[in-house]
Amino acid sequence: MSVFNLEALLALLGLFVLLLEAFVPSVSSKALAGICMAGVAGVLVLLVTVAGGQDALPAFIGAYHQLDTLAIFYKAFALVITFLVLWLTLEAAPYLSKFTLDGKLGEMFSLPLFVCVGMMWMASAKDLVTVFVSLELVTVSFYVLVAYTRKSALALEAGVKYLILGALSTGVLVFGVAWVYGATGALSFEGITKAVQVGGVNKTALLFGVSFLLAGLGFKVAAVPFQMWVPDVYQGASTPTTVFLSVGSKAAGFAVLTRVIDALTVSGSMVRQEVITVLSIAGAVTVVVGSLPALFQTNVKRLLAYSSISHAGFLLLALAARDSVRVDLAPGGTVAFYLATYLPMTVLGFAALIQMRLNGRGEELDDFKGLAQKSPTLAFLITLAFASLAGLPLTAGFFGKMWVMLGLVDQQLWFALVCAIIGAAAGFYYYFRVILAMFTPEESTEPVRMGALARGVCVVLGCTIIVLGVYPKPLQMLLAKVPVAGKNATGH
Amino acid sequence: MITLNHYLFVSGALFALGLAGVVVRRNIIIIFMCLEMMLSAANLALVGFSRFRVTDGLPDYAAHSLVFFTITVAAAEVAVGLAVIVALYRTRQSVEVDTITRMQG
Repeated sequence: MSVFNLEALLALLGLFVLLLEAFVPSVSSKALAGICMAGVAGVLVLLVTVAGGQDALPAFIGAYHQLDTLAIFYKAFALVITFLVLWLTLEAAPYLSKFTLDGKLGEMFSLPLFVCVGMMWMASAKDLVTVFVSLELVTVSFYVLVAYTRKSALALEAGVKYLILGALSTGVLVFGVAWVYGATGALSFEGITKAVQVGGVNKTALLFGVSFLLAGLGFKVAAVPFQMWVPDVYQGASTPTTVFLSVGSKAAGFAVLTRVIDALTVSGSMVRQEVITVLSIAGAVTVVVGSLPALFQTNVKRLLAYSSISHAGFLLLALAARDSVRVDLAPGGTVAFYLATYLPMTVLGFAALIQMRLNGRGEELDDFKGLAQKSPTLAFLITLAFASLAGLPLTAGFFGKMWVMLGLVDQQLWFALVCAIIGAAAGFYYYFRVILAMFTPEESTEPVRMGALARGVCVVLGCTIIVLGVYPKPLQMLLAKVPVAGKNATGH
Repeated sequence: MITLNHYLFVSGALFALGLAGVVVRRNIIIIFMCLEMMLSAANLALVGFSRFRVTDGLPDYAAHSLVFFTITVAAAEVAVGLAVIVALYRTRQSVEVDTITRMQG
């Protein structure tokens, strides 16, 4: 059993669930979700157990597929977030099913599996063809997922917006790939790395292609100026899909960006300085542009969308300051660490939104009033998630933000540092506004209840936030082994 | 004699036309057609580059393979995209972008 078969297994499971849902009407949502979650958990176990004693990949696949630490990390990340999204979908089923045509959730369980397959392939991609195909597998599945609850006017609107802007980014991306290929004569990251080092490449053509390539990827990770779709799509899509977009799609985008940036900024590269400048400016502006509108948001789901843009900015800055060696993280490791801390807090934040909906409350700031009296557990968990999103010390979000800023100091990117500090400070204001609302007393006394399973999963996520915030060493050690580009040509 | 520059010029013009269409037109179906035109522009550039990078008298076929993938993906995108647009038309009786402005701010 080789690791590269895992994607195939998962795709087969997805097809099986799709057919099961179509031809066996008696099977319930719960059973479908159970099968999918068991399958994803099983693949995760296989990945963890097999990944250690990995043999060399066979030649036919070794040219397209690599299995370094980073690839295995992002594969595990994709599986974990898919599992949580499936759980959230099941959790939100009572109100989500009102918005589908047949009152069932059907493909909302099989499509995340295909998205997961795409993300796993992307994590291992060694060339731009594989990146493109797996990216599109993810994006096309998301077109369906975003618009799936189509009786909701907002979901359909979000679906169309995501479709148009997603297709636009695809066009831009392929155009960029074409020019990068034209300039370097290579589609593989290895070939591009060599071409930019050796020289003899038309620099103007290369920069032209790289700017389109980065713009295309910028759409996927919601970097300024390609972030316009985020608030609308996140607000309109069903909450489990929003989580998937916010965490999964972003992580996959950054997995690819890490590889692309690795190839382009290898030491001695002719476009190194330009790429780092563009990254730091885009990251800095993204942090600010994400943070400022969030200050005035009254819809918490939309607030989390803006916060997601601001986090994308921090991740871009982590890529810009990638040569900093202050912490024990290899280049690309800081991004991976940041994403690993971003996962539990974002999922917990959105899971709380689902619990609010299940209790007949909305997603506005006023709906959070008095929550501390009615459900102290939920209020405490939301406080934890939002404090971590803001980057409070002793929570998971702290180290990610701190290391990014330290990296910026090391690289002397002062403009970016100032923007990052403004963004972080603004974050404290708008996240704590929600926390303050929860602790404001309110007259009405309808209780807020949580199911036992929901409570259990949320507490586990909360514990992860604290553990990562207090003792991040193990994760740091794991990611310290991320190899540097150019030295891992064989991909082990 | 047609050189690589001719192909790149046509490809660039197609891409710019497509992008302009996406920005200017208000009908979602037309916007979608413009998006497909942008993909075709990228394909033309890929084939052009690949055809003119000759080794041992043969063009480099790596980029050709990407073109086939792009065509397939574009077809999948159209299949899903038109379904979403039809769903929009059924609820709003219109496919103008001005009808999808409920969320703002």
